[in-house]
Amino acid sequence: MKQFNLPSGAVIKKPFNKIWIVLGTLLVLVLFFSLFIFSRRPFFNLSVLGEILVKMFTPRQYQNWGDYFGYMLTLRGPLVETLSMAFGGTIIGSIIAIPVAVLSAKNITKIKWIRIPVRTFLNLYRTIPVMLLAILAVYLVGIGVLPGLMAITGFSFGIMAKMLFEIIETVDMSPYEALESTGATKTQAFVRAILPQVFPVYISYLIYIFEINVRASAIFGYFGAGGLGTVIVESAGQYYERVGATVILMLGVVLIIQFISNYARGKLQ
Amino acid sequence: MIKFINVAKTYPNGVEALKNVNLEIKDGEFVAIIGLSGAGKSTLLRLINKMIESTGGQIFIDDVEVSSLTGVKLRMLRRNIGMIFQSFNLVKRTSVYNNVLAGRVAYHSTFKTIFGLFPKEDKLIALEAIETLGILDKAFIRADQLSGGQQQRVALARALAQKPKIILADEPVASLDPITTIYVMDDFKRINRDFGITVVANMHHVDLALKYATRIIGIKAGEIVYDGPADKVSDDMLVHIYGRSLKSDELLGDIDEAI
Repeated sequence: MKQFNLPSGAVIKKPFNKIWIVLGTLLVLVLFFSLFIFSRRPFFNLSVLGEILVKMFTPRQYQNWGDYFGYMLTLRGPLVETLSMAFGGTIIGSIIAIPVAVLSAKNITKIKWIRIPVRTFLNLYRTIPVMLLAILAVYLVGIGVLPGLMAITGFSFGIMAKMLFEIIETVDMSPYEALESTGATKTQAFVRAILPQVFPVYISYLIYIFEINVRASAIFGYFGAGGLGTVIVESAGQYYERVGATVILMLGVVLIIQFISNYARGKLQ
Repeated sequence: MIKFINVAKTYPNGVEALKNVNLEIKDGEFVAIIGLSGAGKSTLLRLINKMIESTGGQIFIDDVEVSSLTGVKLRMLRRNIGMIFQSFNLVKRTSVYNNVLAGRVAYHSTFKTIFGLFPKEDKLIALEAIETLGILDKAFIRADQLSGGQQQRVALARALAQKPKIILADEPVASLDPITTIYVMDDFKRINRDFGITVVANMHHVDLALKYATRIIGIKAGEIVYDGPADKVSDDMLVHIYGRSLKSDELLGDIDEAI
């Protein structure tokens, strides 16, 4: 604690800044975990890495660049699968998130015995690893686009519900009060005073989650969820150039989506 | 008509905001409530449309007892009472028109409101209210693009769109500059006169209250210490209400010169 003595004789103490506790804890944790990571001698084999990279990003023996890029064209089907499960999952998950977010928001749901169970459910739900969702979905409905869609829906729901209730809790409540004073019901006041404030941010997050999902859907391919991910899994170990071409295609698509999403989100502010 | 009989309000933290308040405001009056901050002005105003619940006494609006109302009946009462706030309480990122149209939602079912279905006459009522306040050219501009005075006009238009019998105003000009203040107060005067709407306003600037209101209610520590015509308020009475002489920030200054 720091103390200031002013010329007038007044004394004021500057309170302890809690940020030091946070930073100190972080430092201790970093040191602690680094013990486990560097305790064994790392095993790097750069030559293998280089070999694989070369295999991935050059045409196969007896093939040319035309074959390499021509392969990308045959990926239209899986690409559409990936995009549609990412898009569908984002939309469905984000819609289911709305009522859950409203019920979790402290400033809207005043009744504790509704809010706290909903919020607890949400927190527990978010501890489920996304991989588990994907595996469960494949067990439930078998291999294909449908389990991918289900896993992405579940994943999007978790992020959106959390982000949305935090947006709702930071809105300006004064128009809500004004709406209540006109005799509006709570639902009407919410729709007219809160939604217009939340909506642009919601759409902005929706686009962002879609962007994440296009990448995540590739990982879900490992569990047989279809799309480009499955192509990568099936080619890995044997057809490295196919993996490389698929990765380049995905990078291109993600880049385009990022570009569009940055533009659209800029417009929404 | 608004009638308070022995009304009291004690907040859960033990603060006695109002004690034994009796008053009667007739239709079409322009009443200003003055007093120190913390004297109970806002509490008195918000009891009228039950934005705050009283803890004693009875409040009547046209023979309807307010404090017992709940649900639909309370909302039907609030529908007839417009409310103006110091910080305007607009949805800043939506248009003036949408903000004013919000004054109509209590006339429709929740279902219709969710889908934004308003009948044509409601849209016209909203636009007419905007026109009355002289900002029709701003109707489809976002509210946050407007100046403070214009935003308060939007709030007034929203209240007008309710087709109210009473307008309650909680420090309506406290966050406006002196010249805008005059324009907004003129709007209140005009609405009071042309539409016969009762106006009850909490005023920070005493000279403004005396100029615009026909009746002054002075509150001190939760009790009414003056209730009478504006032109009968003496300097001694002001000292009595405020417990001291007025500070310069409690006066707007030379009103005629400000214009």
